[in-house]
Amino acid sequence: MFGFENISANNGWAMAVVGASIVFLGLVILSFVISQVHKILKLWEQRDEFFNRYKKQAKIEETKTVKAPVSRQPRLPSAKELTSIYRPLVEQLKQPFELIQLFEISNKMDLAHPHLSIKYLQEAGVLIPQGDGTFTWDKQKAN
Amino acid sequence: MFDLFYQFLSNTGYFLADYRQIIMVFVGCIFLYLGTAKKYEPLLLVPIGFGILVGNVPFFKGFGIGIYESNSVLHYLYFGVTTGVYPSIVFLGLGAMTDFSSLLAQPKLMLLGAAAQMGIYFTLLGALFFGFLPKEAASIAIIGGADGPTSIFLTAKLAPHLIGPIAIAAYSYMALIPVIQPPIMRLLTTRQERLIRMPAGREVSRQELIIFPVVAVLLCCFLAPTALPLLGMLFLGNFLKECGVVNRLANTAQSAIIDTATIFLGFTVGCSTQGDVFLTPKSLGIFFLGSVAFSIATASGVIFGKIMNLFLKEKINPLLGAAGVSAVPGSAREVHLTGLKEDPTNFLLMHGMACNSSGVIGSAICAGILWSFFI
Repeated sequence: MFGFENISANNGWAMAVVGASIVFLGLVILSFVISQVHKILKLWEQRDEFFNRYKKQAKIEETKTVKAPVSRQPRLPSAKELTSIYRPLVEQLKQPFELIQLFEISNKMDLAHPHLSIKYLQEAGVLIPQGDGTFTWDKQKAN
Repeated sequence: MFDLFYQFLSNTGYFLADYRQIIMVFVGCIFLYLGTAKKYEPLLLVPIGFGILVGNVPFFKGFGIGIYESNSVLHYLYFGVTTGVYPSIVFLGLGAMTDFSSLLAQPKLMLLGAAAQMGIYFTLLGALFFGFLPKEAASIAIIGGADGPTSIFLTAKLAPHLIGPIAIAAYSYMALIPVIQPPIMRLLTTRQERLIRMPAGREVSRQELIIFPVVAVLLCCFLAPTALPLLGMLFLGNFLKECGVVNRLANTAQSAIIDTATIFLGFTVGCSTQGDVFLTPKSLGIFFLGSVAFSIATASGVIFGKIMNLFLKEKINPLLGAAGVSAVPGSAREVHLTGLKEDPTNFLLMHGMACNSSGVIGSAICAGILWSFFI
């Protein structure tokens, strides 16, 4: 067999196209990789400088953090602990009650962060607003 | 007494000589002349030329003398060719001799090495067109890579019966670079293009030179594992040279080892051109297609250089494309000389070497790809 018939019969066109593409692709990848090698090496050689600069930056930020006024949230007891602390106080009050009454009692008892604690109990749904400025104690949620 | 004398005479080469052997002896003498008097690739043409003489001395067949007769000494030496051992060893030495720094300095020149491999695939189609079998066509096509050891390696794997003509064609065209390449380069470029000066490449660090063979062997051989016997040895040789801790091995690889392999490779390939086996219409077809392959390879490198210039801010000298074939360092030298003819202060040798070394890698990958098509 001769001519184009022989080329087609033996898959010649495909072999030529695929072969040429593979060798081109291979050498393009290789040339790209070797063109980056010196950059990677440069980065590697400057690694100490880079890390020192990074450490320095981190130190400056840390210092800044210390100097800046920080609003820290006081650490509150857990929800379970809070309800167990406030339950005896609420039992002393007549239902429904005003939050100011609960606040006064907790102040008398010298409990820590009464404002935040009451706010937390309100958000947790343990103190239920009645719509007229008074609140009731939800026993189910409190348990 | 006369009977004995007649018997002796009938066993001499003078009596057994065939016209084909006489032709081949003449060819061998031309090779020796080109190698010694003209100094065209003497390291290759001298052992091949002498091998042609030895291989074409007529002898009485059946006594284990000729290269194609089993148990003959020449047959054992030829084993290194048919198994692809010599080409691999030559690649080891080649790697130990090659300096890839110019390629690392300008990696974009590697694309010219890829473009010059197009000659291989055009010739593959050409050989199929002329009715060669696919494996034969692939073996003929690799002549376009202009790499003798690669051509021998692939032919040994795909079409061992064609080793002689293909090896002779590949080495002949490598030796004829000063004749074949310059007209093509001049035809495809304008004077203005030939005058383009290439910028000096950046300085390449030792770490880069050490890392390159490792990266290259992994990338190339993962892509075409069948190229391992060639590229594995090439990059091993280069690593030996660049790592700087095994100078003894590197020195041996780039001198004694490659020289020994070249002698045996050239000599046995020459011996394999026995007139009765070599002088066939197929061989003529191979020689014709080989010249086409080599010319197309040169032309595609130059044309690709011109195409690259359409997109590059800093233009490259398209002559360098001709050095994309892997005839090291012949084609780089020819590019350099052609450039010098236009401008005696334009030195293209190192840039040409960059394209040359990428051509070596490219043609070995091509050999691997072609072989893998038939596995």
